[in-house]
Amino acid sequence: MATGLTGCGGAAQASTVQDIAFWHLLSGGDGIKMQAMINSANQANPGFKVHPTVLAWGPPYYTKLAMASAGGRPPEVAIMHASRVPGYAPGGLIEPWDLDLLAENGVTASDFAPRIWEKSQHNGKVFSIALDSHPFVMFYNTDVAGKAGVLASNGQLQEVNSPEEFKAMALEMQKVTKAHGLSFGYLGSGSQMWRLFYTLYKQHGADMELTPGQPMKVDRDAAIESLEFMASLFDDTIAAQAGDISTGIAEFARGGSGMLFSGVWELPTMKKAGIPVDAATIPTLYGTPASYADSHSFVLPRQLKLNEDKRRDVYKFVTDVLKGSLSWAEAGHIPGYQPVVQSQAYRELTPQVHYANAADIIAYDPESWFSGSGSDWQTYFAENVQNVLLGRDKAAAGWDAFEQRTNTLLSRPNPV
Amino acid sequence: MSTSTLSRPRPESLRKPGSRTRSNLSGWGFATPFLAFFLVFLVWPILYGFYMSLTGKSLTGANDSLLGFANYAEALADADMWRSLGNTLYFTVISTVPLVLVALVMAALLNIGVPAQWLWRLSYFAPYLLASTVVSLFFTWMYNPQLGLINEFLTGIGLPRVAWLNDPNVAMWAIVIATLWWTVGFNFLLYLAAMQNIPAQHYEAASLDGAGAWRQFFSITLPQLTPTTVMIVLLQILASLKIFDQVYQMTAGGPGGSTRPVVQYIFETGFTGYRLGYSAAISYIFFGLIVVISVMQFVITRRRSA
Amino acid sequence: MATPTLTRPAPSATTANSLKIRQPRKKLTVGRIAAIAVAAFIAVLWLIPFAWATATAFKTETDAAAPDVTWLPPSGFTPEAFVKVFQDGNIPLWTWNSLYTSAAITAITLVISALVAYALSRIDFKGKKVLMTVIIASIIIPPPVLIIPLFYQMLALNLIDTSWAIILPQVIHPAMVFVLKKFFDQIPRELEEAAVMDGASRLRIFTQIILPLSRPILAAVAIFVFIGAWNNFLWPFIATNDGNLLTLPVGLQTIKSAYGIQYAQNMASALLAALPLIVVFLFFQRQIIKGVATTGLAGT
Repeated sequence: MATGLTGCGGAAQASTVQDIAFWHLLSGGDGIKMQAMINSANQANPGFKVHPTVLAWGPPYYTKLAMASAGGRPPEVAIMHASRVPGYAPGGLIEPWDLDLLAENGVTASDFAPRIWEKSQHNGKVFSIALDSHPFVMFYNTDVAGKAGVLASNGQLQEVNSPEEFKAMALEMQKVTKAHGLSFGYLGSGSQMWRLFYTLYKQHGADMELTPGQPMKVDRDAAIESLEFMASLFDDTIAAQAGDISTGIAEFARGGSGMLFSGVWELPTMKKAGIPVDAATIPTLYGTPASYADSHSFVLPRQLKLNEDKRRDVYKFVTDVLKGSLSWAEAGHIPGYQPVVQSQAYRELTPQVHYANAADIIAYDPESWFSGSGSDWQTYFAENVQNVLLGRDKAAAGWDAFEQRTNTLLSRPNPV
Repeated sequence: MSTSTLSRPRPESLRKPGSRTRSNLSGWGFATPFLAFFLVFLVWPILYGFYMSLTGKSLTGANDSLLGFANYAEALADADMWRSLGNTLYFTVISTVPLVLVALVMAALLNIGVPAQWLWRLSYFAPYLLASTVVSLFFTWMYNPQLGLINEFLTGIGLPRVAWLNDPNVAMWAIVIATLWWTVGFNFLLYLAAMQNIPAQHYEAASLDGAGAWRQFFSITLPQLTPTTVMIVLLQILASLKIFDQVYQMTAGGPGGSTRPVVQYIFETGFTGYRLGYSAAISYIFFGLIVVISVMQFVITRRRSA
Repeated sequence: MATPTLTRPAPSATTANSLKIRQPRKKLTVGRIAAIAVAAFIAVLWLIPFAWATATAFKTETDAAAPDVTWLPPSGFTPEAFVKVFQDGNIPLWTWNSLYTSAAITAITLVISALVAYALSRIDFKGKKVLMTVIIASIIIPPPVLIIPLFYQMLALNLIDTSWAIILPQVIHPAMVFVLKKFFDQIPRELEEAAVMDGASRLRIFTQIILPLSRPILAAVAIFVFIGAWNNFLWPFIATNDGNLLTLPVGLQTIKSAYGIQYAQNMASALLAALPLIVVFLFFQRQIIKGVATTGLAGT
């Protein structure tokens, strides 16, 4: 088929099927969707077969990916959170994409939202191709919201613009559910605490900069105010004081609350639960619309011996997956590839379209070699602020301890 | 350990006159294959690892300047390193005691002369043949807070559920229990072999004196086993200090770092955090500790046997 | 018969072989009955994890995850989980990887250790004492201390993600050299003298006289090294990332993420991984127990 045409003099090899190793960290519903996309790419391209390897989300995955890349026999292609690229690109663990080859396969810069395309670059080169952006959003139960009288005339949740208004709305919902107004589980999960914290922090219009050799640049007041607001939610009325992620999800899924703060990837769970669910970006409580997000991106791990044919197959595979990412959108993610987002089929997906605007306000983690999704830095965040959220510690104390921890990391030699 | 056996004079018949050079040649010839591996994969890494610990070497290849002892200074001020070292020592203490005592009890029970010995040996020793990953899968499942067999049993007899691997106060004990199940069979075998080597006459004489089984155990078996016990304790301490597998697989060092052993910290600083040089420095601090413990054991054993 | 097999007269390095077997006294006293009861209790306790894993592995996933924890599932037992694991799992591949790497490690270890042990036992050569001291001293070096430099060495040699990276660093067993040397020391020298008179070379004496006499200890060392290599997790985990090279213990670590929470399949995989050595153990129980007992005290 067409794959034979792209190779120069590769006609003889066209008959052999190239095995492409592909690593990702997507499990559960995401994993099943990814497998389906791989299968259809394999079917459409008899010239290669992509073999996925799934490793555990977070440090186990990223540790192994770094070790394999350093060793020079890594998979031909892998998924990486865009926020992790600064830890891999400078040391040469991943290689930049060839824009000409991408264009040959019909994908160019203009196919991505500006924020996402900007994020895919490092030192002027494109190191990651975003499959999606997956912001932190708010799911709500339209039934509960309706009974609480907080729906606007268009059937969506009414707009709130301040912490007080948000809490008032949550309390109205609590009167309906008799349990909680909001579900948000966080115990033991640094990533989860960070997602909400960083959303609120960025809504202050504040920035955060991590430069090795310098103390962290941060708006301390905004950080403390965000933490205090979070802690004030966990009063066992608005939201449960202590619970882990799955407890929060389960509570919302059985109608025990009106709202859930969560990553978009929980959408399939909510649909399966059969509750009347809609979604929106997290309300702007501090003036600036912002939403924590990350992107599952394709990266090219460094190869000891580059096989040009396989590299070409990887480009074909990745661009095929991008073009077919409508099914990825069904899992809740906002596709990175704009032609899919602008398609009629995507506009008919609800509630996905109700938070598609998030792609314009998303905030990625501050860049450094140690930050990003599933990094140890997020674990340190949990270690220092969990007691704040549980009401056992002052927000200022928890924040200062985390800031100090971060400064220690910044003061150490930069290994990338 | 005495080296007197080494200098035992060789029978003259094996030594041809004037074959000194030939002996040297064939001696080193026989030693060469082992020596080659020994030098390349043991001695060189030890030396090179020490050099690495003086540099900023990184997994990404960046920044490998010579730092002197800066890594060591940093490590000695690193609270996480001390915590992980503390966890390793804590595990060593609380695991060695049951791993020796339970093994002794098992061996003693069998040595009394229960029928069908192979059956007991099989059940006590079989877990030792499992890979750590299998053990971790078994126990993670049994420790499951809601669906686990252990909590089911506890609630069945009216006790509260325990969050085995999720409670910082309990998790290390959960690891110890799994480890006990896994490796006690090894110590048990060593004890059993030693017990069965105690000459029967000792017991016969004691029986004639009217000593019961209980007294015989304490007055004959235990004292006779002293050298074995010393060796088992020694080996067990060294084995426990190396703890990594079960913890990494069952709790990944959690909850909140409460079970993270120093080997995991070495792994994480080196591979997750890229800092191979710093990680090598921690390895050498850990190595130093092991040498100190070994020397201490050596001295104590010597004093006891003197 | 309850003859303890451990003390069957066999040349052994660490247990004196002149001792007699103590026949268990056959009288059934209250004490003995109590001992049997306690031994049985411990044995049952020790078998429970196997039994529970087996019971789970033969359940449907729904039953395995049901809040009612029970030994007898409502939908009955089914081999479904095993079939699934075989279909989409890599267990046969991992088993093969474990088998050939462990076999290679065992073979290389035996050859190089026996050679050097023979030299240390029989040949007078310059520097022997130093060599012996260095080898004995190296027993205390714990492998985890070496992971960082060894990984770096494998990087430099471009061996990461090859079988060599798994095998090469695992063939140095100073304690086994020591065990073999002590055994060779016990072989009467007279046996070699005739061969020496005939002008046989050292290598010939070694292969035709010493090795055949040393079968029990060679088997013991082989068993010990093989079990260690088969079950080693840390080093293969560091040396390989490629899914095609994973050994059984390392591969098994990845199933949790691949399958999500599939309890029956997890247990089926664990049991399949455990099976090879358990079966071997059932057949060669005596040799294995003797092997571990004779080499075990020399250190790992």
